[in-house]
Amino acid sequence: MSSRIPRADTGVSVSFIASVVIHLAVLSLFAWYGRMFPPQIAIQETYYVDVVSLPVNEPASGSPAQLPAAAVPPPLPVPEPPMTEPLPPPRALPKKITKTIKPVSPQKPETTDSYFAERMAKIERNTEARREEAVLEKLRSKVKTVDKSKRGASEAGGALSGSRYADYIKSRLEDALKVTSSYTTNNPEVAVRLTIAPTGRILRLQIERSSGDAAFELAVRRAIDLAGEKFPAPPGHTVYENGFVFRPKSISSGASH
Amino acid sequence: MDIIASAGIVVKLVLLLLLSFSVISWTIILFKFVQVQRANNESERFMDFFWKSKRFDAIASQVDRFSHSPLTVLFNEGYNELKKVVENDSKSDGSSLSTDLGGVENVSRSLRRATNSEITRLEKYLTFLATTGSTSPFIGLFGTVWGIMTAFEGIGKTGSASLAVVAPGIAEALIATAIGLVAAIPAVMAYNHFQHKIRVLINEMDSFSTEFLNIVQRNIAGK
Repeated sequence: MSSRIPRADTGVSVSFIASVVIHLAVLSLFAWYGRMFPPQIAIQETYYVDVVSLPVNEPASGSPAQLPAAAVPPPLPVPEPPMTEPLPPPRALPKKITKTIKPVSPQKPETTDSYFAERMAKIERNTEARREEAVLEKLRSKVKTVDKSKRGASEAGGALSGSRYADYIKSRLEDALKVTSSYTTNNPEVAVRLTIAPTGRILRLQIERSSGDAAFELAVRRAIDLAGEKFPAPPGHTVYENGFVFRPKSISSGASH
Repeated sequence: MDIIASAGIVVKLVLLLLLSFSVISWTIILFKFVQVQRANNESERFMDFFWKSKRFDAIASQVDRFSHSPLTVLFNEGYNELKKVVENDSKSDGSSLSTDLGGVENVSRSLRRATNSEITRLEKYLTFLATTGSTSPFIGLFGTVWGIMTAFEGIGKTGSASLAVVAPGIAEALIATAIGLVAAIPAVMAYNHFQHKIRVLINEMDSFSTEFLNIVQRNIAGK
């Protein structure tokens, strides 16, 4: 009997060491796993999904006539106006888009009555696709920051890209404000002047005017911080300055430069 | 790992406590596993040996081979008591019948005592497993509640209830519940397992002591 108890105690110490070793092994396994496959936080990444802001950018970039143009094709029964109507935008666009027009032109000779409605639909679809292609192309060229050389008219192009950049920044800020929004008074309003460095960093943040809602001011500051992490470089690699008026539902950009 | 490093001091303490609970309960699990396994194996072998042998003193000389079995403890106790009774019997050559019956009673008592002490030895430390199983989820829950409280304080300070503000604090807090469950689940499973195994061993001890008493009584009555 008496010889049993010391043996039991050594068994306990051995299994204690084994237990500690097991725990250390499991913990280090977890640590290793965490280092090998760090958890990916997707909250920030969703800001890149630009599907919502693409149509917003589009009318501002091309011409205000684009919106009516989109509305015009359906009411017109004659095929000729829609054919000529979508053509002007491609002319203003880079050469790549003209490729998409080619499949349209072979269809022209076949003008049977049964074919008519089908062609109308096709043309409309093509113009839609072309418009989207054009927008994507513009965005791509903007990212490459060679839009001035591609667009030809340097003066107008600069102004356009400036307002488009403002729209882009505005939509980023709107997205961020949706996350951070909080206010205590009705219809608070904060006007902010932002200065963005050529690298895309925010140089200066100046609150020019505020309705006095501290919570909303804080929300605006946080929204700018949040959105500011993802700003692209301003067009032409210059310091960009613009005023934004923040309201809980919308942001309007003030006069640029 | 970062999530633990960034947690508050109370949550860290809770995690540390739960970790030590887990370490200790695994110590007990491993120890008990070896102990019960050995007891089962050696009891089986001892029973084989016991039924093959003709004489108690032959068994008594070999009994050290099965020292991990609780049955050998019973046998030793019963055999020692029996030896004493027989020695007393041979000294006093008076009314033999009454002392014989008293001798069987003595052996029975000593067997019961040995059974009780063996049950105590087998069940030693098992209560800690039960305690870990029942309390560590609550300890983890306490850590979680505390973590969420501090997270809400943070929300109050920043004035924003966005997911980016709320989520990390709650994730930190929930770690405590997770660790509590991780500590509790094996403890409860092992507790139930060992309870069952030990009940089997207790049954074996009971049946062995009745067998032993039967043999003793048969031999004394046949004398």
